[in-house]
Amino acid sequence: MSIRNLNGRSRAWALIGCLFWFLFTLFPIYWVIITSFKTSLSVVGQARFIPFVDFEPSLLAWQELFGGVRGEFMNTFIASTIVSLSSAVLATAIGAMAAYALVRFPFRVKLAAGLVFFVVALGGYLLGANVFGWSRATAMFAAFGLALLLSLLVNRVRVPGPILGNDDIIFWFVSQRMFPPIVAAFALFLMYSEIGRLGFKMIDTYVGLTLAYIAFSLPIVIWLMRDFFAALPVEVEEAAMVDNVPSWRIFTGIVVPMSTPGLVATFMITLAFVWNEFLFALFLTNARWQTLPILVAGQNSQRGDEWWSISAAALIAIVPMMVMAAILSRLMRSGLLLGAIK
Amino acid sequence: MSGVSLERVTKSFGDVTVIPPLDLEIASREFVVLVGPSGCGKTTTLRMIAGLELPTTGTVRIGERDVTNLRPGLRNCSMVFQNYALYPHMTVAENIGYGMRVRGTPKSEIDAAVKDAARILNLDPYLDRRPKQLSGGQRQRVAIGRAIVRNPDVFLFDEPLSNLDAKLRIEMRTEIKSLHRRLQTTVVYVTHDQVEAMTMADRVVVMNGGRIEQAADPITLYERPRNLFVAAFIGAPSMNFIEGEIVRDGGLRFRAAGGVDILLPVNRSAAYEVALGEPVVAGIRPEHTVRGAGGTAEVTLQVRDIEPLGPHTLLIGALGEATFTAQVAASVRAAPDDRVTVPVDVEKMHIFRKATGDVIPVP
Repeated sequence: MSIRNLNGRSRAWALIGCLFWFLFTLFPIYWVIITSFKTSLSVVGQARFIPFVDFEPSLLAWQELFGGVRGEFMNTFIASTIVSLSSAVLATAIGAMAAYALVRFPFRVKLAAGLVFFVVALGGYLLGANVFGWSRATAMFAAFGLALLLSLLVNRVRVPGPILGNDDIIFWFVSQRMFPPIVAAFALFLMYSEIGRLGFKMIDTYVGLTLAYIAFSLPIVIWLMRDFFAALPVEVEEAAMVDNVPSWRIFTGIVVPMSTPGLVATFMITLAFVWNEFLFALFLTNARWQTLPILVAGQNSQRGDEWWSISAAALIAIVPMMVMAAILSRLMRSGLLLGAIK
Repeated sequence: MSGVSLERVTKSFGDVTVIPPLDLEIASREFVVLVGPSGCGKTTTLRMIAGLELPTTGTVRIGERDVTNLRPGLRNCSMVFQNYALYPHMTVAENIGYGMRVRGTPKSEIDAAVKDAARILNLDPYLDRRPKQLSGGQRQRVAIGRAIVRNPDVFLFDEPLSNLDAKLRIEMRTEIKSLHRRLQTTVVYVTHDQVEAMTMADRVVVMNGGRIEQAADPITLYERPRNLFVAAFIGAPSMNFIEGEIVRDGGLRFRAAGGVDILLPVNRSAAYEVALGEPVVAGIRPEHTVRGAGGTAEVTLQVRDIEPLGPHTLLIGALGEATFTAQVAASVRAAPDDRVTVPVDVEKMHIFRKATGDVIPVP
């Protein structure tokens, strides 16, 4: 069913509907653009819609923004760019590998091993911190290391209980996005400050913020990429296997090129998520690695309702994503698989 | 050059046993076709030779090597898939040379091998094209080219022609056959098409339910099927089966409903005597409804349909309860509901035991 198949009145109605929706979604952007050229005079009072007719545009907001009056704008912009690009790239790369492994190789994880991990990690931490009197971070690292080692061991020996498969692992990944992020953000802040006491500064650092973003983006990347990989014809990989192509070459040389549209789309989604992310940035940064959403939100509280400058900052936050989407949309086209199989 | 041998190989997926213990010896340079209905285990068998499936128990050997647990890449097999499985982002030349490139073969050598394969398969004009710019037949030739440059011990074909149209399929059939003659490599070829099996194979392995029903050269399969399954599977149109019994009435006769009363050849009496009074099934191929040298019987069928094919005409009718197809000369004029009497070449007739489905062997 397409608008093209409609005739007469229904066609007109459909067009009107589409046009309405188009204007409805576009209007906020238009509003932000003109507001960024307004002065305090043109914002107060009645609404003014058309530049040069309703109000006299001014470059004041933009001058202030780039002039540094409004805080370290350039610095924030650069921090945002570096953090979101690197975490999106890394999350997509790691997540794609994990998703491929989960699609093509059967894993068997014993529930008992998972329980051992949980018990040893929690118990070991409590024991280390409260009984042995270690610092919290030391106790945590020791407990997690031991828990990992023990659970790997338990997974090798014969133990009763159910065995979890790939779908369970995927669900476990995705389940991490089901609880409210504030739960993780707060815990992460505490963990980072404890690690900081050991001498590894994590709060307000590139590594700290990027790691948090990678960890929080991975579930969505794995979940999305799993569907893309599952849709690939397995025979193409089998042909390469018979041809003695090593697994990693099959992945990089055949699977990745075949799933480029999926990878690009996933990268874009991850990038947008990290670029717009507010909560983690609020908790884990304070000056040097502050990101744009924090800065934009801060405008209001720092100087009052100066909508023109908030609008200018918001535009700066929107535009890079639009440019990225425009560039990458060419790569997202489908049809790359044509010719692989009948 | 090396043969393939499967010894007591079984395969189960969970609780489902796909292949009960199976033994198969494939000689070096032999062209063996595994044929059978869907789900008969032929593709699983092929994939176990390739290493894409590991047998649950048993041993797989290629040449003298035990490859049972070797990964596919180390078995030196080449495989051609039903859906071509080309690398869509590479040109034809890159597709053919990819395996060599990964293995670090010098570029000049790859180019020479690709050129050679392209010449054999008439792919020269297409070397710089992508798979999506090729037709189905050309794509399958690229897949075969990729298999050739491997210079394998064994070629494995998994229904390679099933996705091609009928005309192309016949062309490719001949091409693969002549390729085998030229390369002199062992070939294991899976198909569900018995015509493909008969026309291409040195030896046809008819499989059913994971078991080998009969493994023999095409003519033996056609002339001396070992049981009802093979008899029904090989030959088109399919063999006619009439249930009845053998009685002694001045020589051994086969009698069945619909007035079937056929005097069996004297030289086979000794063989057929063992089944006296036992329920049996007589099998007669449609093309054997002609006068034979060793005595002729006649059956009368109630015609239901007529299929004029040009060289000859098929009469499809009923013989008692059974459906019976007779091949008659193109000049025979018949209409539905006619009763037509056709001769039967009793020398070409087979008698199967109804209980086991096995043929009663004749001298």
